[in-house]
Amino acid sequence: MKKVLEVILLLLLLVVTHAKGTRYSPPGKPALTRCRSPEKETFTCWWEPGSDGGLPTTYALYYRKESSDTVFECPDYRTAGENSCFFNKNDTSIWVNYNITVVATNALGRTFSDPVDIDVVYIVKPNPPEQVAVTVMEDKGWPFIRVSWEPPHKADTRSGWITLIYEIRVKLEEENDWEMHLAGQQKMFNIFSLRSGGKYLVQVRCKPDHGYWSEWSPSSYVKVPDYFHREKSVWILITVFCAFIFLILTWLLHMNSRSLKHFLLPPVPGPKIKGFDKQLLKNGKSEEVFSALVATDFPPKSSNYEDLLVEYLEVYIPEEQELMLEKSMDLDVGCLKCEGSASDSDSGRGSCDSHTLLMHKCDGVKEEEERQAKEAHGPGYWECGLSNKQPHLLHPQAQAQRQLQARSDDNISSIGRKQTPAGLHSPARRSTEYVEVERVNEEDMVLLQPVSGRCGDVEGYPEMPYGEDYSKVKGVDMDNMLLLQREVREETENCDTSSTVTTTQKPAACIHSAMPVEGEMVLGVNGYVDTATVCTPPTY
Amino acid sequence: MSSAIKQGQWAILLWPYLLTTSIPLDCRDEQGGLSRCPSISQEKLLDRVIQHAELIYRVSEESCSLFEEMFIPFPLQLQRNQAGYPCITKALPIPSSKSEIQQISDKWLLHSVLMLVQSWIEPLVYLQTTLNRYDGVPDMLLNKTKWVSDKLMSLEQGVVVLIKKMLDEGLMTTTYSEQGLFQDDGQPEMLEYVMRDYTLLSCFKKDAHKMEILLKLLKCRQNDIHSCA
Repeated sequence: MKKVLEVILLLLLLVVTHAKGTRYSPPGKPALTRCRSPEKETFTCWWEPGSDGGLPTTYALYYRKESSDTVFECPDYRTAGENSCFFNKNDTSIWVNYNITVVATNALGRTFSDPVDIDVVYIVKPNPPEQVAVTVMEDKGWPFIRVSWEPPHKADTRSGWITLIYEIRVKLEEENDWEMHLAGQQKMFNIFSLRSGGKYLVQVRCKPDHGYWSEWSPSSYVKVPDYFHREKSVWILITVFCAFIFLILTWLLHMNSRSLKHFLLPPVPGPKIKGFDKQLLKNGKSEEVFSALVATDFPPKSSNYEDLLVEYLEVYIPEEQELMLEKSMDLDVGCLKCEGSASDSDSGRGSCDSHTLLMHKCDGVKEEEERQAKEAHGPGYWECGLSNKQPHLLHPQAQAQRQLQARSDDNISSIGRKQTPAGLHSPARRSTEYVEVERVNEEDMVLLQPVSGRCGDVEGYPEMPYGEDYSKVKGVDMDNMLLLQREVREETENCDTSSTVTTTQKPAACIHSAMPVEGEMVLGVNGYVDTATVCTPPTY
Repeated sequence: MSSAIKQGQWAILLWPYLLTTSIPLDCRDEQGGLSRCPSISQEKLLDRVIQHAELIYRVSEESCSLFEEMFIPFPLQLQRNQAGYPCITKALPIPSSKSEIQQISDKWLLHSVLMLVQSWIEPLVYLQTTLNRYDGVPDMLLNKTKWVSDKLMSLEQGVVVLIKKMLDEGLMTTTYSEQGLFQDDGQPEMLEYVMRDYTLLSCFKKDAHKMEILLKLLKCRQNDIHSCA
């Protein structure tokens, strides 16, 4: 007995201490979460309880209708589940505002939720459509799906109490995107443009004209049969057509292949030198190539000679005058010579054609020439051979005519080149003799006089190496003066001695001195000093 | 919402059709003379009246949403529950549940509808004038309210004819009077007036829905009283 009492006391103490340790409070504020009506005739409201404050809490829902102040309590807490209130048909009025409040009560107090106003007409969320039937039908060989359904059985659409509109969504089984279709108030819908052999899912939902969308109906599956062969025939047609076009294009390309090739890859021009052998070049032996060039057409033969040669100046001297010419000794003559100087800047034509014409007539050579000329050419033409290569070389000491009368019009013509007489022992060297027009006499005859030559006419003229009758520029000093080499000076000295014999003319100033030459004026095209310009004729 | 707009646009497109439907409603049998318009069967008349009511409801719903978007601050907007402010027609003895509606007679149904229609004609006219004075009111809203106002009048005429046909009662249509219950106050931008207009629109929307439902139930009853559960 004592023990029992002790146990009871201990228990009480425990309970009391325990009770003193926890805090009790009035319940937390509940909240109405939503109210829904499935058919506009009944509706349900759900609430969310707050904290219960540690004590057992009861909840009560009170409502008040729009036009009255009478407060009613929820008629049914059970039908719709936990924390809910169900209003049946008798308690539901539409077009009337309900003011609903939930109250939480426990031992320490009561808490009211925020009131909520609803009108049943606007909270309608119907059930999903029922009896969804999906069938595959055919329209001229192309299949389509026909979907049909019934409205939810609770919603009274027949009497017009609720008007529902429907929506369908379709998708292929393996995809994620739904295709939506709005069906309006009809209860049947056709879906076209299906993939052959595909498996489709179909769902339907509905909504009143003033409310919420229902949930989607459960999926209905349908498989579309294969109509692949129809698509295939189209592909075959397309393939054939493309092949045909391809063949045409190929044929066109083939016909125009050459011009196309020329357009895309223009041919590389090959070398077109006569006598140029590509094979030799490929073999890599340049000497043979050039020798082949030399051997064949280069230098050009006599047939093309006229193209390259400068025109001859044909001078006609009647025989009487010839003799006269021979005898006069006073004149400074050199060989009748015209030479085309390579350094002449006017296109290789000889100085016969240039304004300064130096004619130097050598006696011996002249006589020989005369003879030859007479032999070869009856009328006694002087031939003035102009060539770039083999100058017409006359003996320097041959008596030369000082004055030649050259007929200006008819007698001057280009004639063939006169061969160098074989008997001439004079070295093959180049020298320049110029003839200058002194005056024109009354008979319209041009009186020529030789420009005091400097070079090449002296007997015993020392041999000079090829190309050395050009003045070589030793250098340019500070005053832009060309310094010519000594050889020129010697030459001039030699010329000087000869010139005293041959000419009475005042020798050109250039003979006595190495004339400083103004560099720019005198330099010829190829860098050499042009002797023609060096030996400027003395002005008269 | 977009579907409601589509339906409203569809309604506006059908304006000429509605005009034609309203014309026969207009005609009255003259005494001693042949009626000028062909008489229309009761079912067809009822169908057209129902169509009128449907369209009126849709357009009024759109007008209310438009007005709400433009002029009502968000906290004051009626939530989805759409529990509105007290309406002018709350005093009318309109049945408020399906069971009630099923219990009342055809006569009472029709009279209820007529009462509703007649009580809204003037407020809608007033609403038109007051909406014009809002700043930046879209033309669509004005057009809709005008349309609704006109259609309501033709609906009234149709219901009168229907009553005459069904119940064999002759009734007068309301005469349009300039003077109304509502005073035309200035300063429509004040919140009070805005809320008043907002209330008007939302109440009308609700009542339009009432008209539609009542007429549809009436029609169901005409066809087969037993299937209208």
